[in-house]
Amino acid sequence: MRLAVALLAAAVLAGACTPVAPYQRGYLARPDMAMEPSDAGTAKALEKVYPAKEAARGGASIGGGGCGCN
Amino acid sequence: MRPLLLLAMLAALALPCAALAVGPGGAIPGVAAPRLADPSQRVEFAKLRGDVVYVDFWASWCVPCRESMPALDSLFRMYHARGFRVVGVNKDVTTGDALRFLQRVKVSFPLVADRDDVVAKAFDVQAMPSGYLVDRKGVVRYVHLGFTADTEAQLRTEIEKLLGSGA
Repeated sequence: MRLAVALLAAAVLAGACTPVAPYQRGYLARPDMAMEPSDAGTAKALEKVYPAKEAARGGASIGGGGCGCN
Repeated sequence: MRPLLLLAMLAALALPCAALAVGPGGAIPGVAAPRLADPSQRVEFAKLRGDVVYVDFWASWCVPCRESMPALDSLFRMYHARGFRVVGVNKDVTTGDALRFLQRVKVSFPLVADRDDVVAKAFDVQAMPSGYLVDRKGVVRYVHLGFTADTEAQLRTEIEKLLGSGA
């Protein structure tokens, strides 16, 4: 029974994954989806958002950090 | 729990993921899409019956499409008078991207937009670009996934065959 429930749960969770169809790759080709920002504005925006998102403010340039208070 | 019941439940969960790709021998899906240049006009795929039709899925971000679009345009110009049509289904996220591409690569065959993926889902497109060569009776006869240097010559042979056979 446990195995059955585990398998069922795995199947339900697997269904939650959404594959990107070949014809939907235009969304992945957007400039803002690039690993490396294509322009200075996006680079600046990512630089600002990244530390907050990762709870590591100051990690890139300032000593300390991690508390999100500086 | 009985293993058979468990298997049936898993199969039921997997069912929505099952691909129903359009392949050779299948009918052209009865879907419609708005023209890229004039969205008030719609192209109904089922009504293309009577001509040999190549339905091509393309996008500005699709690198082989830079080769396939001029090649298809040349085939369209060559065989249009004999009853060959090409419909280009655009898969760009925005119409602006498609129009920018078309400024560089000019084509004379009709283009439709498919923003909501209705046409791509109906064909269950497996690659970009994908092309479906349909005979005069509305039956898909050849499917081309991707576009290489050989595809144009291969398409020419297939088009000649379908135009000549009267099928």
